[in-house]
Amino acid sequence: MEVDQLQRSFRDYTNALFREFGQLQLLQDESNPDFVVEVVSLFFEDSERLLNDLTTALDQQNVDFKKIDAHVHQLKGSSSSIGAQRVRNACTDFRSFCEVQNVEGCLKCLQNVKQEYLLVKAKLEALLRLEQQILAAGGTVPMLDYIA
Amino acid sequence: MTIRSQIKRIIALHPFYSLLIIIVVVLAIAGCLVPLWYTKVRRIEDQVKLIEGKVDQELDFRLIHRTSMLFSSINSTATNLVRMLNSSLGDNSLQFYIIKSKIASALFQGLSTIPYLKQISYIGLDGLFFAYYTQGDQPYALYSNSTFQNSSNSYTWYVQTADRNAGKLYGDATKFPPSAVVNSSWVQNALNSTNVFVSVASGWGNDSDILLLSTAGMLRKSAVSLGFSLEPIVEFLVSELAIYNGSFYLATKDGKVLTQGIPGMRIVLTDDHVSLQLVSSDGDKVYAAGDITCGSNNGGSVLSIWDRKFEMHCSQVEIAGLQLVYVLAVPSNEFSSNIDKNIRWAFALLLIMIGVVVAMICAFVYLVVECLRREMHLCRDLINQKEATQQAERKSMNKSLAFASASHDIRASLAGIRGLIDLCYNEVSRRRLSLQELLTNLSQMDSCTLDLVGILNSILDTSKIEAGKMQLDEEEFDMEELLENVVDLYHPLGIKKGVDIILDPCNGSVSKCSRVRGDRGKLKQILSNLVSNAVKFTSEGDVTVGAWTRKQSLENEIIASNVNSSMKCLLCFKAESESESGNNNVKRDSNCVEFVFEVSDTGEGIPKEKQKAVFENYVQVKESVAGQEGTGLGLGIVQSLVRLMGGEIRLVNKDVGERGTCFRFNVFLSAAAAVAETRAHDIESNGDGVLSDSYKSRVSERSQVILFIHNPKRRKVVQGFMQRLGIKVRVIGEDERLPSALKQINQKLNLSYYYNNSSSTNSRSDGAASRTSSMRSRDVTLSARDEIMDNVLASKKKGSAHVRSFTFILLVIDIRAGPFKETWKAVAEFRRGLNERCSSRAIWLYDPTMSSSSSHAMDMDRLPRSDLIISKPFHGSRLRQAVRLLPELGGAIAREEERLPLSKRVSFGGTRTSSSSASSKSGVRGKIPKHSFGVAKKSEIEEVGGSSSKNPMEGKRVLVVDDDLVGRRIASAVCKQLGADAVTCENGAEACQEFYRRLQQDDIENAGRPLSPPFDCIFMDCQMPVMNGVEATAEIRKAELNKFHTPIIALTAHQQGEELEAMMEAGADAYLTKPLKKTHLSRVMFDLYTTN
Repeated sequence: MEVDQLQRSFRDYTNALFREFGQLQLLQDESNPDFVVEVVSLFFEDSERLLNDLTTALDQQNVDFKKIDAHVHQLKGSSSSIGAQRVRNACTDFRSFCEVQNVEGCLKCLQNVKQEYLLVKAKLEALLRLEQQILAAGGTVPMLDYIA
Repeated sequence: MTIRSQIKRIIALHPFYSLLIIIVVVLAIAGCLVPLWYTKVRRIEDQVKLIEGKVDQELDFRLIHRTSMLFSSINSTATNLVRMLNSSLGDNSLQFYIIKSKIASALFQGLSTIPYLKQISYIGLDGLFFAYYTQGDQPYALYSNSTFQNSSNSYTWYVQTADRNAGKLYGDATKFPPSAVVNSSWVQNALNSTNVFVSVASGWGNDSDILLLSTAGMLRKSAVSLGFSLEPIVEFLVSELAIYNGSFYLATKDGKVLTQGIPGMRIVLTDDHVSLQLVSSDGDKVYAAGDITCGSNNGGSVLSIWDRKFEMHCSQVEIAGLQLVYVLAVPSNEFSSNIDKNIRWAFALLLIMIGVVVAMICAFVYLVVECLRREMHLCRDLINQKEATQQAERKSMNKSLAFASASHDIRASLAGIRGLIDLCYNEVSRRRLSLQELLTNLSQMDSCTLDLVGILNSILDTSKIEAGKMQLDEEEFDMEELLENVVDLYHPLGIKKGVDIILDPCNGSVSKCSRVRGDRGKLKQILSNLVSNAVKFTSEGDVTVGAWTRKQSLENEIIASNVNSSMKCLLCFKAESESESGNNNVKRDSNCVEFVFEVSDTGEGIPKEKQKAVFENYVQVKESVAGQEGTGLGLGIVQSLVRLMGGEIRLVNKDVGERGTCFRFNVFLSAAAAVAETRAHDIESNGDGVLSDSYKSRVSERSQVILFIHNPKRRKVVQGFMQRLGIKVRVIGEDERLPSALKQINQKLNLSYYYNNSSSTNSRSDGAASRTSSMRSRDVTLSARDEIMDNVLASKKKGSAHVRSFTFILLVIDIRAGPFKETWKAVAEFRRGLNERCSSRAIWLYDPTMSSSSSHAMDMDRLPRSDLIISKPFHGSRLRQAVRLLPELGGAIAREEERLPLSKRVSFGGTRTSSSSASSKSGVRGKIPKHSFGVAKKSEIEEVGGSSSKNPMEGKRVLVVDDDLVGRRIASAVCKQLGADAVTCENGAEACQEFYRRLQQDDIENAGRPLSPPFDCIFMDCQMPVMNGVEATAEIRKAELNKFHTPIIALTAHQQGEELEAMMEAGADAYLTKPLKKTHLSRVMFDLYTTN
């Protein structure tokens, strides 16, 4: 019964999170059992590094917008790869400010991106935790109806 | 020719010397000829003189001597008379009475009978004397009746007149002083000689009369003398000589002058000499004029008397035994001097002639020299002009070249300025608050420099063209693709302005020979320029881009050549004409295809009077329109580029009432026929070549397309395209409402369905069928009834075997055409209303740039899975793709499983039109067509994948290039799950290296065999450090050397934009948006492999 509960909450959670997460799950199979965890942690690492870089870059006296743009692009790429749409959208805004070289806007966007990132991170971590709990409880991770 | 010109040159260079030479030559000829002529003339003169001499001799001998001979008979008369007297008188001494009776009568007879006889006398030695003489006509007798002995003192002579008839004496006898006639020499001489003695003496009667006395002695006692008058003889001679204009002198040998010739001149004869004396008019003074020696018979001496020249001939002549000397004076000059004078005249004329000739030559040479001088002047001027022109051309060329080469410098400076502005901007933006104004100024400056760069680029393009540095880069490309790219590129811009840009396939001829060789970049530049211009000047309506091919005909060629000639006049640049000739070669090539493009807008249009200036550089037609900047070079460049490709651009007049401008241009490109043909051959040998005609028939049987498109122009284009394919199209116009229209269609479909069912079970006669159908469709409109008829007939044709067929309905719905919610509802209702034999799919045309309210309203999740959503303009490849959804053309119908991959494979052929060869030729293209999956494409793909093969990428080698670790990981995971073997790279440079490495390895391993691609597929992220996806794609395409084609799928986080355009242009075959989904990937892969 506990497993059922967990599975239901997992399903709800992922549905609330983003649809694309299902894609990741689809890629996980016997040959690659930890795929989701691996990718998600990769995403975390990458994003945190990039966010740090961005923070320091924007703090500089002479802001290198090219560099910032590259960072944001990377962040955008990885977030869209994983399917984190909100982070991706935030990145898009960021880039547009970057293009006109508006430091103020960039700073605001950075905050926004960070926020979104943290949100996603929290959700993903919770999700992974749920998954582990399900597995620990002996259940199987439910496949998401991502097409819906 | 050369000799002549050389002579000309010499004359021109040394006019004086050449003139001199000519004159010398002429004179030399004259100098040779004149002496010759002179000698000849002299000879003639001599001959004439000779003839003259002969004439003289004739005078001497023939005339004078013969005349003298005429008189020789005179002497014989005297002797005869003497002999007669002798015989009658006898030897008696004579008495006077005897004399008077006998001799006197004989004498008188003689006097009256002998001609010219003036006087006749009988002279006795004893003194007896009797003579008759005539004075006037009266004869007189002179006699002496006494002898010397009888009257020694009173010896007297008497004169008595004699009777004219008988000679009888009458009248008184008067005394006459006697002369010592007996002792005179002539009597003595006559008595002493036996012959007649001739002498000259004066007569008895009149002393002045000189008579020629012919005396003959009679028995030594007496003598008879006959006195002839000399006058007639002399007169005869003079009259004979008169014809020679001569004068005649006659004298006896002893100096007695008988006649004087020339008046006022007389001759005196002394021995052999004749001296001429001039006598003055009064006769007092005498001058000697000259002497002549007689006897020299040859010619006479010439004397000049009173300024006249006389030739004197002096000779002796004997007349009747009397020796005479005569002098003949002939005016000598008359004859030979005349000749002389004439000769001199002729000579003078000759000299004048020569002189005139020389003068003429001089004049002629002068004229020639003058002409030559003028010619040389002109030549010099021409050369000067030419040099000036060349210099000007060179200068202009240099200017253009300098302009072209200045590009780098100017660009560098501009880049510098931009950088500096950047710096300033940064600087200012850091100290944010106070310097807002400066900030805006700087951003304006930045945009200004950007504009400047744009203007500079266009100017540089112009100068490049003028400098003839513009070259065509020939490459093979797909014309359809190019057109679509251009239109898609400007579509967002147009939509933003509210202008739709439509690609009109026209008659579909472009797709028949879509693969061509030519300068893709420049053609794109031309099209882009025209389209952007059209968009710029159009505020509402649409811009239509049309293209078609034209067969080469004679007329076209003529036009083309005309164009060329005019072009040559217009643009006299060497390089251009060279490239032009190259183009001509292309045109003659049978492989050459003429493409005609038309860009038409609904803007303000260009006023007629300004149309000519449109293509001139630096001219902008619409100066008045604010906010539309530009150098006015654009169309000039376009024209030059079009001409470079051998074509011509012009403005086409739109129909009356239509707004806007229409540019039409043509270019000549060579078709890449070789590739297409071999491919076509392959297909045919595989037995897959299917005629498009069969599609046509099949299409008409089963499928219907319902068009609900907002833009009327686009609607028309789409409709035309589909109808050409033979697809039945139902258009829902603006005035119709979608729900009601759909309802109507539904009704019709159901009707036909029911009819089909009933007809398959009931009667099969056509007539009955049509009757029933018309009965049943009483409530529908006339047109609807016709459609039903069509359906009926079509299904009849098919026969019973296919009676159980589906009707497929493709809905093409433009979301903009109505409120989305309403539309969606109507479509859903329509679908619900369809019967079991009908299936439908919908294509939603969606515009991402549309206002947010409608895009929000469009909830894609609510759409059925099989529907397609197309966010880009619905034309070109998307249109073809949509058509392919029709089952007859290979589309998969949901629920229908049996027909798939094979028919899919030929599907491209079906999308193209008409002839079988064309369809099979173009059906397989060199490149893999692109598929865009803009927003979502759903479950259909799963079915495809599931029905054909589980893993389309099974065993494939895949290269994933992404700088983003997460993305890379996911992509490779996806690939692996699909059964592919994935290799990853971090950026473009690495990817290229990897590609080369494998290529070389392959090369070594498969030596001799044709190259195989090292990867079956490459996933390429667009934006990467070191080397981005665009460059890497281009690099890989280059490395392939056209020997094989590796499918490259672009990965992007964006949905569209420049990045993707660039990727596609660089040679990517398709693109996928992140996050990467297995379904999308497998769908793309499936398409790629099935079509390749």
